[in-house]
Amino acid sequence: MVTKEKLAKIVGTGNVSNAPAALEAYARDMSFVNAVKPEYVVKVRNTSDVEKLVSLARETLTPLVPVSSGPPHFRGDTVPSTGGAVIVDLSGMKRLIRVDRANRVAMFEPGVTFGELIPAVAKAGLRLNMPLQPRKTKSVVTSMLEREPVIMPKYHWDIADPMASTEIVFGTGDLFRTGAAAGSGTIEEQWKAGGAQKEGAGPSASSWYRVIQGSQGTMGIVTWASARCELIPKLEEPFLAGSPQLERLLDAVHWLIRLRLANECFVLNSANLAALFTRKWPDEYYSLKDRLPPWILFFNIAGYNYLPEERVSGQVKDMKDVAQRAGVEPLQSIGGVSAFDVLEAVRRPSDEPYWKLRSRGGCQDIFFLTIYDRLTELINVMHVEADKAGYPASDIGVYLQPIAQGTSCHCEFNLFYDPENPVEVSRIRGLSTGSIDALMAKGAFFSRPYGESTGIIMNRDAATVSALKKVKGMLDPFNVMNPGKLCF
Amino acid sequence: MALKRDQYTAFEDVLGPASISEDPVILDSYAWRSCQMAGLDKFMPRFEAVVLPQNTGEVQSIVRLCNKFKLQFKASSTSWGVYCDPTGPGVIKIDLKRMNRIIEINERNMYAVVEPYVVSAQLQAELMKRGLNCNVNGAGGVTSALVIAAHEGIGHMSQHASYGERNQLALEWVTPDGEIVSLGSLGSLGEWFCGDGPGPSLRGIIRGNVVPLGGLGVYTKAATKLYHWPGPPVFPVEGVSPRYIPSQILPGFMARFLCFPSEDKRGEAVKKIGESEIGFVLMGFNTGMIAANMATSNEEEMGYWEKFKKWETGPSFFLIIAGNSPGDFDYKKRVLQQILRETDGKSLKEMEDPEVEGGFLWRCIRITASIRETCRANGVFGGEVFGTDAYSIQSNFIQDSIEAKAKLIKKGLVHADSTIPFVTSLEHGHFGHSEVLLRYRPSAETMEGIWEFVDRANQAAIKGHFGLPHHVFSDPVHDLFGPHISNYHVWLRKIKKTFDPNGASESSNYISAK
Amino acid sequence: MALVDYQRDMEMCCRCSACKFIPIERVTGYQHAYVCPSVSRYNFHAYAGGGRMGFGIALLEKRLEYTDKLREVVYNCQMCGACDISCKYAMDMEVLEPMYEMRMGCVDNGFTVPVLDSLVASLRKQGPMVLGGKARRGDWCQSLEVKDYTQQKAKVIYHVGCRTVHDKAMWKVAKATVSLLQKAGVDVGIARSSEPCCGGRAYHMGYRQDAISQAKHNMNIFKKSGAELLVTGCAECYHTFKVLYDKFGLKSDIEVLHTTEYFARLIEEGKLKPKQPVKATVTYHDPCHLGRLGEPYIHWKGKELPGHMRLFDPPKTFRRGTYGIYAPPRNVLKSIPGLKLVEMDRVKEYAWCCGAGGGVKETNPDFAIWTAQERLEEARSTGAGAIVTACPGCEQNFTNALKQDGDSLKVFDIVELLEKTI
Repeated sequence: MVTKEKLAKIVGTGNVSNAPAALEAYARDMSFVNAVKPEYVVKVRNTSDVEKLVSLARETLTPLVPVSSGPPHFRGDTVPSTGGAVIVDLSGMKRLIRVDRANRVAMFEPGVTFGELIPAVAKAGLRLNMPLQPRKTKSVVTSMLEREPVIMPKYHWDIADPMASTEIVFGTGDLFRTGAAAGSGTIEEQWKAGGAQKEGAGPSASSWYRVIQGSQGTMGIVTWASARCELIPKLEEPFLAGSPQLERLLDAVHWLIRLRLANECFVLNSANLAALFTRKWPDEYYSLKDRLPPWILFFNIAGYNYLPEERVSGQVKDMKDVAQRAGVEPLQSIGGVSAFDVLEAVRRPSDEPYWKLRSRGGCQDIFFLTIYDRLTELINVMHVEADKAGYPASDIGVYLQPIAQGTSCHCEFNLFYDPENPVEVSRIRGLSTGSIDALMAKGAFFSRPYGESTGIIMNRDAATVSALKKVKGMLDPFNVMNPGKLCF
Repeated sequence: MALKRDQYTAFEDVLGPASISEDPVILDSYAWRSCQMAGLDKFMPRFEAVVLPQNTGEVQSIVRLCNKFKLQFKASSTSWGVYCDPTGPGVIKIDLKRMNRIIEINERNMYAVVEPYVVSAQLQAELMKRGLNCNVNGAGGVTSALVIAAHEGIGHMSQHASYGERNQLALEWVTPDGEIVSLGSLGSLGEWFCGDGPGPSLRGIIRGNVVPLGGLGVYTKAATKLYHWPGPPVFPVEGVSPRYIPSQILPGFMARFLCFPSEDKRGEAVKKIGESEIGFVLMGFNTGMIAANMATSNEEEMGYWEKFKKWETGPSFFLIIAGNSPGDFDYKKRVLQQILRETDGKSLKEMEDPEVEGGFLWRCIRITASIRETCRANGVFGGEVFGTDAYSIQSNFIQDSIEAKAKLIKKGLVHADSTIPFVTSLEHGHFGHSEVLLRYRPSAETMEGIWEFVDRANQAAIKGHFGLPHHVFSDPVHDLFGPHISNYHVWLRKIKKTFDPNGASESSNYISAK
Repeated sequence: MALVDYQRDMEMCCRCSACKFIPIERVTGYQHAYVCPSVSRYNFHAYAGGGRMGFGIALLEKRLEYTDKLREVVYNCQMCGACDISCKYAMDMEVLEPMYEMRMGCVDNGFTVPVLDSLVASLRKQGPMVLGGKARRGDWCQSLEVKDYTQQKAKVIYHVGCRTVHDKAMWKVAKATVSLLQKAGVDVGIARSSEPCCGGRAYHMGYRQDAISQAKHNMNIFKKSGAELLVTGCAECYHTFKVLYDKFGLKSDIEVLHTTEYFARLIEEGKLKPKQPVKATVTYHDPCHLGRLGEPYIHWKGKELPGHMRLFDPPKTFRRGTYGIYAPPRNVLKSIPGLKLVEMDRVKEYAWCCGAGGGVKETNPDFAIWTAQERLEEARSTGAGAIVTACPGCEQNFTNALKQDGDSLKVFDIVELLEKTI
């Protein structure tokens, strides 16, 4: 059995806590998963701590729940599913290991947040392909591990991007480096040889970074990762285009990505754009929402080191052809929201409070992947389900993010609610699980299942579950890594 | 060893009599050795039978029978590579030739789904009619378009169209023990747009930046990402084989062979071209490869080579730029000019002849000349294939090969073509890749020299911390590298052992469970 | 030459599978990308050019012997040469030549096909090399006013060929040819009932000596005639006279032309003037022996040089199909007013075979018809109302296949259309 002493021996006394408040902080989150209090919260300092901790967990069959981001947590993945768990808090591992301008890559530990990484890479002229306004406390490593969609689909070549190489302690206790980082030699020796730990795939005929992505800490604990970065443009011209007809905007999106005209590129409904830009609730929110068209496409055209003006003006011309064909009108601002303001906002994490919590204090997200042709129908399905649940469809925030260079689209419904109101809580809880079947039936692929709906989603594909269990058996044979999540 | 009659009948019941053979005439046509690193052995040992399944269900049945009868199977499509060889007794060769359908082309979400025996030229031709394109393996348009069929799937267009590991979406996999696993959205929905999830991605198990080379079951369908094609529905080719020429240089396309005074300058140019996103094709050709690509015979190649080598002043690469609009094309051309001024790059004048340029354009988009570059010399070729991390490590790694190849040439062991190393970049400079090509006539002395050359590169990779080369496959080489590379061989073996409990998927080119 | 003389060529096979497809530069879609009927029909690699190289080497290495199965694979091939041309887009090696040698090997080792034996037996008696020909050799021209070049001097020999003279349905082509030649003022002669078989099919079937004997026999006749030009409308005869006889060392001063070449020349010279419109949309099928295999034979004697690049002393020029007869038939069609020519996906050097050649029509008629049906489907996809060819073998096989299909697509020889316009 794990004891405080054993844990303290690994991380030092000051880094182990079983104070009720500390345990309570990890016993629940904003999702609807059952509250389970951990036994201990351990703050790890480095890879060695993690290795020893995993080793101890295996010996004592103690569940480990890795957590890197600061609160609030939303998806239940950091809430233990079983008793006796130890929270492995990696938020203190904040080393920014390297920023490599020449190879457009940065390496950092899991405790590094977006708020910290963005300025650090900017100094080298680089930037991250980042999610839409993540919360300030969000770990960049975790975001990448969760395959969180990012806002520049043009640079999202693969669903795994921007994650590159990683170092991980598997549930077996083995330390492993994925991709180009695997070796030979130390990371420093690889740098000397010209290496950049840029390639995520491999080594050889396996790509472990893909296996640990989406695994919610069930395979091991990542102790650092490297991320592909992009250059900071020399010149940018952002646009907004609104329409009541989503299909028109999707046509434009397809061509903007296909022709690689747009960097940042996504679609929001009026509820979500208003939510992002409202400071004073509720009047400003409703006023802004009313001024906005139902759907708003945001995109940004950029020039880099060579002839940036010429590039931007040429691409703007090409973009206008695309827009004309699609029947949309790109503008500098819509409903009082300027495209430059949107650009500026999506370059950084959310201000506090987190934008999804500003209106009602709570938010549940339902998100999945699909193809453009199914989006309209899926949105309608969600509206029907919301109506059935008594949730006003017009209040649903919608975020559509093309990913992997437009091969699919992340569709996210943000259900804003008052977490203090039991009726609303019950309604949202029912809706967030009750809508899953209807959405799947119409082409929603829940590639990242979290919380209560996980079972419904995983049960659709018994062969994959069986294969995943085999993989889990390889990497975490004693099932000490975040047991109870996914199908494990 | 021959199949027992009940075994043969069991296979025949699945396939029908016309789709199975154990006749030596049929078998020996498959057993003729591959061209890659070919030595003096002409044939692989005789194997048991060859089967021609028509669909996934038949593949599954074959695999299950192999497990039942304690036989092994080895599947391949167009079978160019050495790793497609059925290795000998106890092995059933699965020739996927009859699985040749294009399942879907989704234009709006830009992916296509194919079976293994659709070749890239077929898929690309269909895509071009729709204004789309796909990455084509460097091995050429006559190889499988299945994104997991090629060893690494890097091609001339990987500059803008990425490569195998990253282009793959959903996939259908008949596991070594005969289960059908549908990755990603295919398993949950029957749709092909995503290969990952729910939860962890099995894409990481079924392949890495290289593939299991037939050693981990059979991949029966896969979706691949598509890219925009700014050219016409049909490329305007005229003339008669082998001297096809375009009837015009397509508006918005330009091909150049560029030479630089030093590796640093070449690297700088590659970086700048990548960062400015102007490259459609960037291929690390040297003059020897250009001569081979262009020539329609060995005699002609020697003539070009004599001419070009005088001109070769340093490291080089081949570049195609393509504009999505006239303005885009002009912009890209102007950027290229500026980059060449900054890097002292020079363009080979012969390439600027419209007929020559047009020929290169098409040959390097359809990828038609790979066999000219590799096998025409003597039917065989060898060399080294390195990894896919940053350009800088690839460039540093391969410098050692200059001297090593020069030594082989000096000893007369390989053909005396350019020693300028092939280094290229992918995804607009995000990744690098390098290779060394050796052309030779097999002899004991040559093979000894070539294997020493490869051993030297392997040692250099380990000692110089240059990463795992892509030419690493099979137990002994994995065992050489694994201990230096995070013990990856141990994990690869775990995959093999877990998913192939009976060792049915012949894996001499992958890794054995041991 | 013998199979062993092609060992190096066969060992050049790099297993790239190019032999199965049309030259990859010319692929314009999913459909019609394959070029080899044999591997398309039978699928196993052994039926492709590359696979044939593989078991050819195995024969030389004594891993294999001549067997019934080997014979079956060897003879289920039209010897159309498409694999050879696709291979040589990139490679310097012979493919079709060793395939011929394997047929010779089958004959030498007694693994012959009875139906082909009977055809060759017929040839040995100066009989026809076609099955089922009920018509006698001279019947087609009984009422025709034309010189007999075996009796009278004629500048031009018109050689009709077994496939035409023994098939009443084909006589119209021969008669039209004579008529057109006469209209052009050509001093033409035929051999009537004494027209010899060219003997080419014996070579294609593996009976080398019979082919050579027949060639010698024929060349004596042709030389004796004093003619300057030999014209034939049969692509196989054309290939035999022009290419094989040269290969056998029997080339003479007599120029050999296919009727389409000669008519194109006569039209260009103004001696034939297409006038009457022929309102039709047609597609043209390149016969293998006129197209890719119709280019001149290239004699080479020398040795392969040692070294890592396969070079020869003196340099060897490979026949790659580049100089086949592609333009003249198209020029004839284009000269016909009102006629619209639409091309199939597989044309010229990479045309799909009609299916009749290499003895397949006789040994495996189903395969011959299957091959023709593939081509007819391709022809239909062009929107053409007719498929036009320049070889009686092609025309007969297409016609037979259409009978099975019950299709409205028509089949013509170019000469038939030319006759309509003049």
